[in-house]
Amino acid sequence: MKSTINRIAYSTLAISLATVWGFPFIYSLWAAFHEEKYSANFTWNAPLTLENFATVWAAAPFSLYFTNTVILTLIILASNLILCTLVAYAFARYKFPGAGLLFSFIMVQLLITPDILIVENYNTLAKIGLIDTIFGITLPYLTSAFGIFLLRQTFKTVPISLDEAAQVEGANTWRVLWDVYVPLAKPTYLAYALVSISFQWNNFLWPLIVTNSPEVRPITVGLSIFATVESGVEWALVNAATLLSTAPLVILFLIFQRRFVANFMRAGIK
Amino acid sequence: MKKSNKIIAGLTAMLMSTGSAFAADLEFYFPVGVNAPAVQTITDLVDAWVVQNPQHTVKAIYAGNYDETTTKALTAAKAGSPPHVAVLLAADIFTLVEEEVVTPISDLANSDADKEWLDGFYKGFMKDAIFEGKTYAVPFQRSTPVLYYNKEAFKKAGLDINTPPKTWEEMIEMGKKLTIKDDNGNVTQWGTRVPTLGGGAAWIYGGLVISNGGLLSSDNGVDVHLDTPEAIGALEFLVELAEQGVMAKGGISWGDTPKAFIEGNTASMWTSTGNLKFVSDNADFDWGVGFMPGGKGPGAPVGGGNFYIFDGITDEEKAASLDFIKYMTSAENAAKWSIATGYIAPRADTWETPVMKEYAATLPQALVARDQLEYAGREFASFQRGKVTSFLIDAVEASVGGQSTPAEALAKAQKLADAVLNEYK
Repeated sequence: MKSTINRIAYSTLAISLATVWGFPFIYSLWAAFHEEKYSANFTWNAPLTLENFATVWAAAPFSLYFTNTVILTLIILASNLILCTLVAYAFARYKFPGAGLLFSFIMVQLLITPDILIVENYNTLAKIGLIDTIFGITLPYLTSAFGIFLLRQTFKTVPISLDEAAQVEGANTWRVLWDVYVPLAKPTYLAYALVSISFQWNNFLWPLIVTNSPEVRPITVGLSIFATVESGVEWALVNAATLLSTAPLVILFLIFQRRFVANFMRAGIK
Repeated sequence: MKKSNKIIAGLTAMLMSTGSAFAADLEFYFPVGVNAPAVQTITDLVDAWVVQNPQHTVKAIYAGNYDETTTKALTAAKAGSPPHVAVLLAADIFTLVEEEVVTPISDLANSDADKEWLDGFYKGFMKDAIFEGKTYAVPFQRSTPVLYYNKEAFKKAGLDINTPPKTWEEMIEMGKKLTIKDDNGNVTQWGTRVPTLGGGAAWIYGGLVISNGGLLSSDNGVDVHLDTPEAIGALEFLVELAEQGVMAKGGISWGDTPKAFIEGNTASMWTSTGNLKFVSDNADFDWGVGFMPGGKGPGAPVGGGNFYIFDGITDEEKAASLDFIKYMTSAENAAKWSIATGYIAPRADTWETPVMKEYAATLPQALVARDQLEYAGREFASFQRGKVTSFLIDAVEASVGGQSTPAEALAKAQKLADAVLNEYK
């Protein structure tokens, strides 16, 4: 009896929270599939339309922007996974002089918002001639303090006896890292990849500042032409464009939903 | 032989660089504050200039909204690779001068023909292009707020559809007739809607102060006048609109205002001429435009973006940039831009072109904005504009939100602004 009441209470709470959370998305769907004049006027039988998507698709080279975003996200993800793994492994398992100090320097980076460094980063890029390139956008993000921290903590939880057992079997350092640590940290990798992809997918100011040509601009920058301020916001177009640009991420998440949720629980990022 | 060849080559190179054959590769940053198709119009205009001047190239770079474009231009300039030309906020002139990144255009355009060209712009738009006697900017996408009103709502309320309110008293009086409530006492149509949140609100409020005989800022960018009786009176009017029940209480956002108007939630609204196209495309009722209702007389602020030429580029590039700006602001091209966006064409000669006359005939509302220019004053601007404007915005928001009286809020804003601006005196 008591457990039934509990279940009902939990379900009600979950449903109401999910509704609050999901409302922006539901609104977005509503506005994108209706004419502009219905975007704040909820008539249930308002005619549906795909025109907003057509207008938006025609107004900007979306397929190009998508490709750019995917390339830049993948470059960053690949290099993050490799570099963070190596650095985290060193901090987790080797004792060397100054390790604590070095690690605290890396931690300090977590306190600095990347936007503060824009002018300095731009200067560096200008000097090495990487302004207006996709690689230039990725350069400041190739490694990540957060990724290092997360992986180091995960590696530390790996029982040292496993490491030693592998060594006794004759595995060298690379082998140990690859066959012992990396598989055990898989939930962390997946969780980190999700955070990293969604951050890079949505990054706006830095790509806007370092790019000049449509050929290298990511979707967020391309999308910003719809977020006009002076003439009032055209919600139908903005939402159609937003749905288009987030669609790949949403689809990806829906496909891997179970694994993501399970991994998040295990990796302890909540 | 070889030597003379070299000399000839050298001489040719010299001639090339001083003559019109000099080739400049210009970078042009532009923001777009209005709807997306405007980007296409700008690109077309730029391409047409390059066809006429095949020795030059221009890369037109869309750089986000005004703030983002300014950030991008300043960042690039600091790194030694400034854009050649950019359209940035007129109100940012003090920031750009302080950062020493722009060239005075009056230093470049100094022939008699050039001076005549500069004199051809509406005076109302030149007020915030000049600093310490030098012209730093050329008006391009300029706007001013006007009162949009729903003629059908006026007719239903028994008001004359051709005489919108001209004074604050009339606004309140007519607003009461225009406000409609349903049986439960909920308002279904407000009398008017003045944005009271964010930068757009500060802009319109600046116009209220002008109509009340004051001016919030000054030509030197250092003195601001936020706590004058004129300024307090204007803010009291904004509060009174809500107290008298002709406008919704609390904050009113800028971005949603045009939508509320076309949906019929409000019988009138105060917003930028940049919305002319949006309203004419979307309103399914008859609508008109009038001057902003005023305190002691008509008054309005100007706003929008100007062309700036950057420093740190060669003299030839500056000359080509000036040429480019002249092309973009020429009568025909300014007409195209104005028609595509709703911005006010910044020169009288533009309004004489056949396309513009035709446009004014089909959309006579556009003429109202031009005629209001005579009463317009500069937009609120000072050194450290972002910070100082935020004090002003806070004062407006605190007053309409009821946390503080207009007089108290503005006195506080004045004190904070003075503290920031003192070091510039």
